Amino acid sequence: MIEEDRAMVSVINLTKSFGTLVAVNDISFEVKPGEIFGILGPNGAGKTTTIKQILGLLEQEQGEIRVFGLDPSTDDVEIKRNIGYVSEDPLIYKSMTPRMLFNFIASIRGLDEIETTKKLQYYFESLEAVEYYDKLVATLSRGNKQKMQVIAALIHEPLLLIMDEPLTGLDAKSAKVVKEVLELHKERGGSVIFSTHILEVAEEMCDRIAIMDRGKIIAMGTIEELSKMANKVGADLEDIFLKLTNQDESVNHIVKNLRKMINGNKRS
Amino acid sequence: MLSNKELYRISKRVYREGILHGQLQSAGSDQARFLEKIDKDKMQRSPDIILKAMSALYIFGLVTIPIFALITIHSTLSSGIDSNWVAFVGSLSVSGFLVMQPAVLLIFSIMFSWGIMSGGPYKWIHTLPFGKKDIERIGFFTFLRSINIQLISMSLVLPAGIVVSIVLVLGSEISVLSLVLLIITSLLFSIINLVFSLSLLVIISRKMALIMGDQEINSRKTNIIRIVSMVLYMIVAMGVMYLIQIAIAKIPELYVLQSWSADTTNILNIILSIIPFPFAGGYLLTILAMDFSNVNRFLLGGSILGIILFIFLTYFVYGKALSTLRNITSTELKKYSKKKKEVFVKDITINTTGPTLAFLKRDFAIITREMSSIMILIMPFMIPLYMLFLPMDDQMTIGPAGLSIVMIIMLFYVSMVSVMLVVGLTNIESGGTTITASLPISVRDQVKAKAPHFVGTIPLALIVAILVRIGTPQFTTMISFALAFLPVIPIICLASLFFKAFLFGKMKHKIVLEEIKSEKKFVKNVLVIAFTFVLMGVFVFASAFGFLSLGIAEVVAAILLYIAYNIMFPKQ
Repeated sequence: MIEEDRAMVSVINLTKSFGTLVAVNDISFEVKPGEIFGILGPNGAGKTTTIKQILGLLEQEQGEIRVFGLDPSTDDVEIKRNIGYVSEDPLIYKSMTPRMLFNFIASIRGLDEIETTKKLQYYFESLEAVEYYDKLVATLSRGNKQKMQVIAALIHEPLLLIMDEPLTGLDAKSAKVVKEVLELHKERGGSVIFSTHILEVAEEMCDRIAIMDRGKIIAMGTIEELSKMANKVGADLEDIFLKLTNQDESVNHIVKNLRKMINGNKRS
Repeated sequence: MLSNKELYRISKRVYREGILHGQLQSAGSDQARFLEKIDKDKMQRSPDIILKAMSALYIFGLVTIPIFALITIHSTLSSGIDSNWVAFVGSLSVSGFLVMQPAVLLIFSIMFSWGIMSGGPYKWIHTLPFGKKDIERIGFFTFLRSINIQLISMSLVLPAGIVVSIVLVLGSEISVLSLVLLIITSLLFSIINLVFSLSLLVIISRKMALIMGDQEINSRKTNIIRIVSMVLYMIVAMGVMYLIQIAIAKIPELYVLQSWSADTTNILNIILSIIPFPFAGGYLLTILAMDFSNVNRFLLGGSILGIILFIFLTYFVYGKALSTLRNITSTELKKYSKKKKEVFVKDITINTTGPTLAFLKRDFAIITREMSSIMILIMPFMIPLYMLFLPMDDQMTIGPAGLSIVMIIMLFYVSMVSVMLVVGLTNIESGGTTITASLPISVRDQVKAKAPHFVGTIPLALIVAILVRIGTPQFTTMISFALAFLPVIPIICLASLFFKAFLFGKMKHKIVLEEIKSEKKFVKNVLVIAFTFVLMGVFVFASAFGFLSLGIAEVVAAILLYIAYNIMFPKQ
């Protein structure tokens, strides 16, 4: 049974290696009910490996993960009943129409037909995707595929949403709708683990943020807490992020060289 | 303006791009996996070379039919057979070759030329500083590159065949004038036939490319095109050599098997000779090989008229092909003219089922739209083709021992196809990973959903294969043999699936994924194939003691499989 009053997710001293590469190195964090928790980090920081372990898709090596108090390595099916997942790439079945896809999802999740139909109608209308319901997923644009992924993650009203770049490819209106849905989800006590490269979005939406780099969490807290850690009080998340991941100097160096090169090659 | 040499060199890039485009269009929704595959395997990047070589080989092989028909003409005439009938059979044989030539060209070249004809590979050329005329010439050179080997073989093969006929027999049988005319006609006709065939290829592949356009990538229509082209390719690949054998064996019989009166044959000959393609050429070459003295003047006139009509027809088709080639290099590509059917969403509703049925429905939706899965479904149905082409009347297979060999070969083919079916069905799990990763999936349900494919597809193909032989003396033996072995097929499929899962590992949301224990992948795959062969061998061995012992072996295997199923995929 899932205990709803405790931390939705707790990760304690988690480590995961692939051969000699330590993808996740002794990280710990908790996601509370009603919290949007952001995980930021450059490519290869270990965000996806962490998320996959929370979902029970990768075997645990060291450390402990509890999702709703359950162990993903043994109770993955029970955990997934209460999780909605959006991955960075919309890897959904291209040979199916959304109608087939949602029939499949609802069947596997054992959802009530009438209730689910109502929710589907609401989401498809809100995200202006009704006309695509009988088109093949392969023919949909990146943004529309992303909408299908988001709806698939929300349709069963999960307690926890794990979203890896959920706004990629969405138009402004749909992105706003999704953000509002996430806020509503949070207000109703649900949690969100949010991974993104768009720092403005993380800044706008996340209650707390963990910054990962080379498998480690190098900083964690609210925006204010992170800005203090980076000695950049009042700065935006981009500056804080670059400072904490030690990328600020290399970025300045690249920009300087770029300017030099462009100014040196005057147009004839 | 760049030189032709430079443009020809540039066309290589466009050609390679076109090949990739064609491969992607053929792959359908399987494109991601296909790209992954060509990234690892460089051989996959030049599949055109094999097909080019095969088509050249087949074209050269087919020319044996007209050679054989022409060199036997004079021995037939001297045995007193009506010259009209000889002209009829000889022309049919030569015309058959003339039809097969473009057919082989189309079937072997279309898979890649539709990529070039889509216009897609020229898009980036437009971003470079090339003039419109240069781009048109690049388009022309790109097309030439796609059929260079076929072009050489098609233009040379008929004159070469005629020269061979002359050296073998005709040189001593007909006048010098006829010989010279025969060589010149074959050369000219070769060129006309070549232009005609290439023009057809341009027009048809352009049509295909428009239908296979990106927006239609997974529709039933594009999949039907993929399936038909694949099946035709397989039929031609398997059937051409058989056809050559049959033609060589039957042509002498046909020459002596006159079915109509001389007058009827004469009228039929004249009518057919006027038909521009393929008969006019077939008749003219046969007439020349027969020498003028043996031939009705009206027939000669009819075939010359037919050739003239064929030249006009070729000129017309060539004009169309040229404008198609110009169009594909244009920035304003003509779109597929047929109106797309509007999809009206009546209502957003869902229909739920149990998990096993949901998996079954999903598998069916994917398997009928993804090229690699379609191929795996088609493969079992190659057994009927094998049975169809099998010369059952000859000494090798007429006895019970020969029949047993045929059936055993078929059963081992079934084992191979079973492994392919398992691979295809488990590959489905590689798609849609976002969805499967987040769903509370029971792998046991997934395995259950595969069972109907194992029980249905290959056993059905096996029965169809036997039904092909209905009415033959071997039918009863074969059908009883096949029925006794029917339970073996799902056993082999399931055993192969379980063994694969055992070797490669299984994930919680997928049956088998070759990334869990991906080391020694080749060895493991060989082991899976070897395992199914050994298993089939056990059943074949058991059947040697009678159907009862085969039945016992089947029951024992089924029980063992059920135990393995419960251990590997326990109830949750």
